[in-house]
Amino acid sequence: MLSRRGFLKGSGLALFGVGLMGGIPAFMAEAAASDKLVAPYKRKRVLVCIFQRGAMDGLMAVTPFGDKYLQAARPGLFISAASGGKDPLIDLDGRWGLHPGMRAFEPLFKEGRLGIVHGIGSPNNTRSHFDAQDYMESGTPFNKGTASGWLNRAVGLLGHDAATPFAAVSLTSALPRSLYGDHPSVAISNLQDFAIQLKGNPAAASTAARSWEDLYDQTSSGLLQETGKESFEAMKMLQRADVRNYQPSGGAIYPPTPLGNSLRQVAQLIKMDVGLEVSFTESNGWDTHFNQGSDNGIFARNVTDLSNSIAAFWKDLEAYQDDVTVMTMTEFGRTVHQNGTGGTDHGRASCNFILGNNVAGGKVYGTVAELAVENLEDRRDLPVTTDFRSVFSAVADAHLKIADDRILLPDWDGKKVELMKV
Amino acid sequence: MAVVGSGWSFAPGGPGIGEPGSGVVSPRPGELARMTFPYRKAGLTERQAAAHLLSRFTYGPGPGQVDAVVRMGLEKWFARQLDGSFSDDSLIQVLDRYDALKLTNEQVVSIYPRAGQVVRMAIRDGVVNKDSVKVDRKEYRDLIQSYMQKKGYKREQELFRQLISQKILRAAYSQNQLREVMTDFWFNHFNVSITKNDCAEFIPAYERDVIRPSALGSFGDLLLRTARSPAMLYYLDNFTSSAPMPGGKMEAVPAVQGVTPAEDAANNFRRNRGLNENYAREVMELHTLGVDGGYTQLDVTQAARVLTGWGVYPMTEQGKGVVRRYSEDQLARRGFVHDGDFFFNANRHDKGPKTVLGHAFPAGGGYEEGVELLEMLAHHPSTAAFITRKIAVRFVSDDPPQSLLDKMAKTFREKNGDIRQVLITMVTAPEFWNAEAVREKTKSPFELAIGAVRSLHAIVEQPLQLYTWIARMGEKQYYYQAPTGFPDKGAYWINTGSLLNRMNFGLAVASGRIPGVRIDLAALNNGHEPESAVAALETYGRVILPERDLGPTIKRLTPMLTDPALAQKVDAASPKTIASNNAESDRSAGMQTGDMIDAAKASKVTIEPVGMGNPMLAQVVGIIIGSPEYQRR
Repeated sequence: MLSRRGFLKGSGLALFGVGLMGGIPAFMAEAAASDKLVAPYKRKRVLVCIFQRGAMDGLMAVTPFGDKYLQAARPGLFISAASGGKDPLIDLDGRWGLHPGMRAFEPLFKEGRLGIVHGIGSPNNTRSHFDAQDYMESGTPFNKGTASGWLNRAVGLLGHDAATPFAAVSLTSALPRSLYGDHPSVAISNLQDFAIQLKGNPAAASTAARSWEDLYDQTSSGLLQETGKESFEAMKMLQRADVRNYQPSGGAIYPPTPLGNSLRQVAQLIKMDVGLEVSFTESNGWDTHFNQGSDNGIFARNVTDLSNSIAAFWKDLEAYQDDVTVMTMTEFGRTVHQNGTGGTDHGRASCNFILGNNVAGGKVYGTVAELAVENLEDRRDLPVTTDFRSVFSAVADAHLKIADDRILLPDWDGKKVELMKV
Repeated sequence: MAVVGSGWSFAPGGPGIGEPGSGVVSPRPGELARMTFPYRKAGLTERQAAAHLLSRFTYGPGPGQVDAVVRMGLEKWFARQLDGSFSDDSLIQVLDRYDALKLTNEQVVSIYPRAGQVVRMAIRDGVVNKDSVKVDRKEYRDLIQSYMQKKGYKREQELFRQLISQKILRAAYSQNQLREVMTDFWFNHFNVSITKNDCAEFIPAYERDVIRPSALGSFGDLLLRTARSPAMLYYLDNFTSSAPMPGGKMEAVPAVQGVTPAEDAANNFRRNRGLNENYAREVMELHTLGVDGGYTQLDVTQAARVLTGWGVYPMTEQGKGVVRRYSEDQLARRGFVHDGDFFFNANRHDKGPKTVLGHAFPAGGGYEEGVELLEMLAHHPSTAAFITRKIAVRFVSDDPPQSLLDKMAKTFREKNGDIRQVLITMVTAPEFWNAEAVREKTKSPFELAIGAVRSLHAIVEQPLQLYTWIARMGEKQYYYQAPTGFPDKGAYWINTGSLLNRMNFGLAVASGRIPGVRIDLAALNNGHEPESAVAALETYGRVILPERDLGPTIKRLTPMLTDPALAQKVDAASPKTIASNNAESDRSAGMQTGDMIDAAKASKVTIEPVGMGNPMLAQVVGIIIGSPEYQRR
């Protein structure tokens, strides 16, 4: 097991061992109120991954709008970039158009912080959600038995012991496949729940917490003693930060959606300087077989949520922006042709978004040929021209300074996409 | 139809490989009588030994159970657990209301269609206009719901709700605890997951007909049964695996949205050509030899070829139509095998010669060569070492001593993979009883929650409420995605988030705040209420943690519990009636919204605070359950 003793050595922490509820020194409370927390950790670089479960239609999110084959294949779905239209695509570069729901992405792209990779996907051609997610999250597209997830291995490759229980946090109810593994990772669906609590009886909770802190401190089991200590310290840290009354900075407004809530909490953790380095969350509802919609509808709502949530997160980070890179991923793309129920079926390649000040953004990377049927995989799908691993490794390596791709992504020795600034 | 809970019987249409334990020399009564447990040499008293035994082979001792085991005799109690011969009549009666769990796979497919499948059928039947499908509109949902009602379809979530409920009730109340513990162990070893849609609906029958009946039988049987089960065939994709097209060409396989596995199986009669190595790899890496068990990628590919054609018999009329063009006799003559849900499609089988682990399989081996391969794997020395180590990790410690592993592996090899014999070797070895083993395992969240139910003699009326907590603490049973199953080590279960949830669970259960989980703390002490918090700690500590040294705990807590301000505070803050956990936090524990109908209903109910006459008592018991000592077994 990794040593996590470093967590307790954080210089500021000694100050917090002063009782569970209340009892925080006045200057600390002031600091908390003014949002300028005394940080026990050196600021860390943070990689935030968002998994879009269900397979996003990359061709609708970022459309090659001049492609006549696409237009013909999607009479009910295709959105034009012509400014005469009601709600046209956002023309990025004369070839690619962002879905109109993603207006919040436009400035980030134009400023060169947001990069897009199109034609990205897995070398394994499964169209099963389960298998494709499994392969993408384990990082081994041809091996089911890989026990660990790629992000957990990334934690192990950070080059230092995870010194805090918050090094890797998933804002989900259960630990995702991406974070399975030996390196400490926690799933927290709500930071407010990270406390000893008994509804309707806070006094009982407080007494119990004091008892337990004492008992865990004394137990002969090293594992329980160490983790117990960490748990109580972590809990106090969150209490100190008053997570319930968090106010985003810069006038950022998060959508009141699961993704918006998750990213708001990731921002809280980042600004608390609790040692977060890898974070994961997810967005659901991308499996649009029925009435996908075009400028309005299910898909439009999904991309609006995605882009507004990410843009709010970015705004909220303010001075922390330099430390953070955000990357989206989805298990595969969808058919080029619309189906009989106003939607699209399981396909192959999709696109993804990478946001950060060290991203060479403002550009759509990847290779997408004209969508004539002979250029499609199995004559129906956008072919995968960029292995997802060549993007994951590029982002993780550059941002988290991970050198060993053989451990991060075993069985892979491809070329990285050069989308990060050197 | 199998009577659920009757142990060794099978549903018709089950695998029909023969009685579990066939080919296994089961321990004879005389042998069991000679079994002696060497605990005295390790310095344990009989009562301490009984407590240790209960901590390993049950989901935790209930009040008075240590005495009961001592009265019966430790060896005799264990022998009866190996036999599974205790009466479970009242449990079987309770489980009887779970109608979905009595169904065959084929019945499940016809009654519990998958969500996407319902929409397709509704469109086909003209109930829903395909252009008006709006998954997020109420009227649309109502339309689908009434369509399902009319057709007699039920929501798939109901099937999983029943599956989860029965697991919790069996673990909490079965007298044959060892069978439940071993069922859990083997399910996790041969993991399948509800997260994979294709296999999800076959999981109830998988646990019922494949795992539980063989949980104390022979390993080889288990291996073959899992290999032939629809759940495993879909989970690890072996049903898609076939000989490549002539000339090595692979046909592209466009996925068809919303097709049920059963329909898919029928389609497989004609399409899906190509090798899929997933099962062949995992059967060696995870089910038998272990990752260092001495096989190569070439062995994986060759084993995959041996296992081509293994699939599932069509479960819909449409699918059966294809197969029924031939009589069963005709199929048998052509080398097809139809046995219950299992179907070996000779046309999809790779007929060429193969070599796996140096063993030659000559051309034209058909179905039998797959059986031969699995038998070979079951009897491989690497398998004996890998499986017995996993058993020792479950029952002895996270890092069991090599001397014990050697003995267990030897028994496994010599007794033909007889699981009972391996357990006897383990429990009669000194290593099982020594200080490095006692209290050394960390309870998993499931063990903690069920243990608390048993410790407190709780009445579980809504098992899903307990499941919500178990999921929140980190063990969402039946939903573990990877074929590895949950890791079995303390370091996996104990992290900062899960530990706080364990403590919160202790408080919640002892305070009667988990809806549908009723307790009566006073009854545990024959109706006597302790006079002080310290007295409560001493009395209930003995009941809940029998034969543990509680001296240090009591010493640590006494100053706090004798603080006069405490009683006042706790009393004052305790509401007279308690609204249950709110539904929102239940959802956050990872249940799918559909699963939570019960929870939502329950959340509106004001729970009578049974046993809540004394909040101080609830507080003390809550602290015990959240204490480090209670996390260990």
